[in-house]
Amino acid sequence: MAEATATGTTSEEWQPKIVMFCCNWCSYGGADSAGMGRFQQPPTVRVIRVMCSGRMDPVFILNAFLEGADGVIFSGCHIGDCHYVNGNYKATIKYKFLKAMVNELGLEDERLKLDWISASEGERYANVVTEFTEQIKKVGPSPLKPEGVV
Amino acid sequence: MDIGDCYVGWATDEDIRTRGASGGLVTAMLAAALEKGLVEAVVVLKKLGEFEAVPIVTSDPEEVKAAAGSMHSVPIVLSRYLEYGTKVALPAKPCDARATIEQAKRQQVDIDTTYIVGLNCGGTMHPAVTRKMLETVYKLDPEEIAGEEIDKGKLIFETKDGEEHAIKIDELEEEGYGRRESCQYCEINIPVMADLACGNWGVIGDLAGKGTFVEINTEKGIKILQNAIDAGAVEITPADDKGKAIRAKVDGAMMKVAAAADEKYLAPIEGSHLDYYMNALADCINCGACKAVCPVCACGEGAKCTEFSSASDTYKMSLFHLVRFVHLMDSCIGCGQCTDVCPVDISLTHIYQRFARPMQEEFEYKPGMDMTTPPFFGVDLLEEGQ
Repeated sequence: MAEATATGTTSEEWQPKIVMFCCNWCSYGGADSAGMGRFQQPPTVRVIRVMCSGRMDPVFILNAFLEGADGVIFSGCHIGDCHYVNGNYKATIKYKFLKAMVNELGLEDERLKLDWISASEGERYANVVTEFTEQIKKVGPSPLKPEGVV
Repeated sequence: MDIGDCYVGWATDEDIRTRGASGGLVTAMLAAALEKGLVEAVVVLKKLGEFEAVPIVTSDPEEVKAAAGSMHSVPIVLSRYLEYGTKVALPAKPCDARATIEQAKRQQVDIDTTYIVGLNCGGTMHPAVTRKMLETVYKLDPEEIAGEEIDKGKLIFETKDGEEHAIKIDELEEEGYGRRESCQYCEINIPVMADLACGNWGVIGDLAGKGTFVEINTEKGIKILQNAIDAGAVEITPADDKGKAIRAKVDGAMMKVAAAADEKYLAPIEGSHLDYYMNALADCINCGACKAVCPVCACGEGAKCTEFSSASDTYKMSLFHLVRFVHLMDSCIGCGQCTDVCPVDISLTHIYQRFARPMQEEFEYKPGMDMTTPPFFGVDLLEEGQ
């Protein structure tokens, strides 16, 4: 049913599924402040809290794609602000490898993103989510999505 | 004797000198290391037939001498057969040496007690493929073969009746025979990362075919060679410049051939990468043999690639492979063992290399060449932040 809703979007418009890994100390707080500040954001993101962006394991991200995520963001404290001194440097190295791997595998470059969001940056959090959702909507559903997963 | 010196050497024992390849220097050196107690064990190849050999660990000098003149084999996961810290000497092709160094980085092998006697290598051949090639291309009975040789770009087989049959390697490889694919694009022919680099390239004049060219790369190399000289097992003479130049020339020519094969096999994928990889891995039966033989994998039984992946997964690609792709990006040495053991003939080395090469080039890091840590772990965290 392609009935127009009050906001003007059709009820059948495809909504991407995005998995976002947030570090406990900054980005997860950022998500909280986005809510408290009532910044609008699309409901496409599933947030998973990890203690540090350095905890991000390539397995998590690969598994998210295999389970049907259309995009994955991982996010942590700004460089220099890591609660565990250098966890986010480690995250950058892992990101570099993962990015090269995902590209060689044939997934679009847009599907994986690393971003730094601090606990006070609620608005920035909302912007990152909005922009990323738009980006994923442009590239469409992930080719790795299993059959039957929406 | 100093690091960087080059010599030509041979065994003093008449029997080893004639049976061993190129004067039997390596065999004599390994046997002397055992006899004089420099090492407790030596890895040698035990011949199973004309085309096949298995690596064995032995402490018997006679068994080492018996293995003289044997062929190349595949790299082994040394740590699986020897306790950490065992004093061991092993003859090694460049990929064997690189595998051993990678294991040392992962605390699987103690590099200070492992003497790596490097051997020049222009490529190896798969036993089963070689048999098939003999039957279909050479029209010979594999059981009738008495010896093989590579000369002037031709692969020569000698039959028991003394006849020689030569075909150009290029032609063979065009048809999918000849050397292993990973050997065709491997550009490391002289084991510069080993303690000693031995081979017959650069042995000229009267010594041709009767001596082995040795380059000393490390202190350990001096130790094992000096030990053999002190024991009276080998004799050496300094290599002349002409020999060195010829050796470098052969190496250069082989590198050019490898670069051409590289372009042929590792050309960019046309069309969808994902379809390419899904097709390539479609036959996988999840046996895990590729991981079991991988010389740079030190994860053991409960590894991320196996623990998080299950045969009942309904994913489009196996998580096992995806994890291995990332894992090997900084460490794949391209030895070709995963392709060899794959029961459904997936060209795994080829796939791993496709992932690994761009990253290793970007970080200017070649695994197994020295003891520097891989970029994944070796990054200077504080400098990165400034």
